[in-house]
Amino acid sequence: MILPKFTGSRDEQARSLASVMEGLYGEKTAEARVSVYVGGRTAGLEALERFRVQGYAGTRNKLKGGVSRLSFYIRHGVLGIREVAESVRERFGKSYDSGKFWQELGWRQFWRHLYSVWGDGVYEDREVAKVPLGSGGEKELPAEIMEGRTGLVCMDETVRELVETGYIHNHARMWFASFVVHFRKLSWKAGERFFYQHLLDGDPASNALSWQWVASTFSHRPYLFNRENIQENGGREWCERCTAKCPFDGTYPDLERRLFSK
Amino acid sequence: MRTGVWLHGDSLSNQDPARKKYAEGPSVFVFDRPFLEKAGLSFKRIFFLYESAMEAVDELRVGETVEEILDWAGREQLVRLAVTESPSPRWREMVEQLKQKVEVEVVKAEEMVTVPEGYRVKRFTSFWKDLGNEWS
Repeated sequence: MILPKFTGSRDEQARSLASVMEGLYGEKTAEARVSVYVGGRTAGLEALERFRVQGYAGTRNKLKGGVSRLSFYIRHGVLGIREVAESVRERFGKSYDSGKFWQELGWRQFWRHLYSVWGDGVYEDREVAKVPLGSGGEKELPAEIMEGRTGLVCMDETVRELVETGYIHNHARMWFASFVVHFRKLSWKAGERFFYQHLLDGDPASNALSWQWVASTFSHRPYLFNRENIQENGGREWCERCTAKCPFDGTYPDLERRLFSK
Repeated sequence: MRTGVWLHGDSLSNQDPARKKYAEGPSVFVFDRPFLEKAGLSFKRIFFLYESAMEAVDELRVGETVEEILDWAGREQLVRLAVTESPSPRWREMVEQLKQKVEVEVVKAEEMVTVPEGYRVKRFTSFWKDLGNEWS
């Protein structure tokens, strides 16, 4: 069936598309919304031109750091990965910041390579887990997590941003994945599915293998975080608003004992 | 020889290698109905793809991808299709199905690094040390 090229504002186009494609996306039609991030090469090139690599290495782990937010354009080939890498080289030259940025693009190349070798095998445990995990039976995450109702402000706000915009910072992805897999002992596959449904840059290999990296089925050790890490990289605002008993409060040895002792 | 270009979810740009090679030919993008029915993607993702495809191709479709492409190719009287390579197993299956009916040229994707045939590695550190020299 030919799909019309709808005209009008973004919202008008979205309403038309949502109606034509009813049943082919996760929400009810009345709840279908667009992201603040605009698709298409024009928007992608504007985002690329806005990006400055200076300071990238030092701030990229901070939620408010100088990350590029180009991942969704690169994921879908709206911008070529080599095109982006060369743009940074031409505009900013070689530097520690450029090198770090290229390395992050390199991760995408790595995932792509593994996908070409493993195919749908990216959805199976690549290695034996290095720590006890949950039983792995869940098909999807509990509603309270997917709806941002855990009472843990850092996790609930992460979900809110993901669902509203289709994008969250990589560090927030790691925290959330670690929360799901290690603190809640839920299946990485259920978390993977939730991210894939919402992330504009959702990519089978990058997403599944990153969840496995956190779980320790594709890494030497599990990824853990604590409250101090969140405050250092995300600020104190979440914790100041939070009234829950914080499960992330503790040193890493404490958390490892609590989470992984049989 | 009239060649049409199939742009897929890894190649949504008029700068896509297959699109650049056959810039004069018509182009199509298909939302794959069987995949979408299973995947439950958020509408935001669908709309992002739609906006990207709107700028990149002449015609957008929704349905079973191989059927839609063949229908489009017939209407456009194409003798050949060009498509940029993807690592997706589903994409490979579709290309094989298309090849039963029409000539298909697979164009190499533009990568940041060249991965040698048969190269195998499990950790990024080794991958980048081996292949990332141009970018260090």
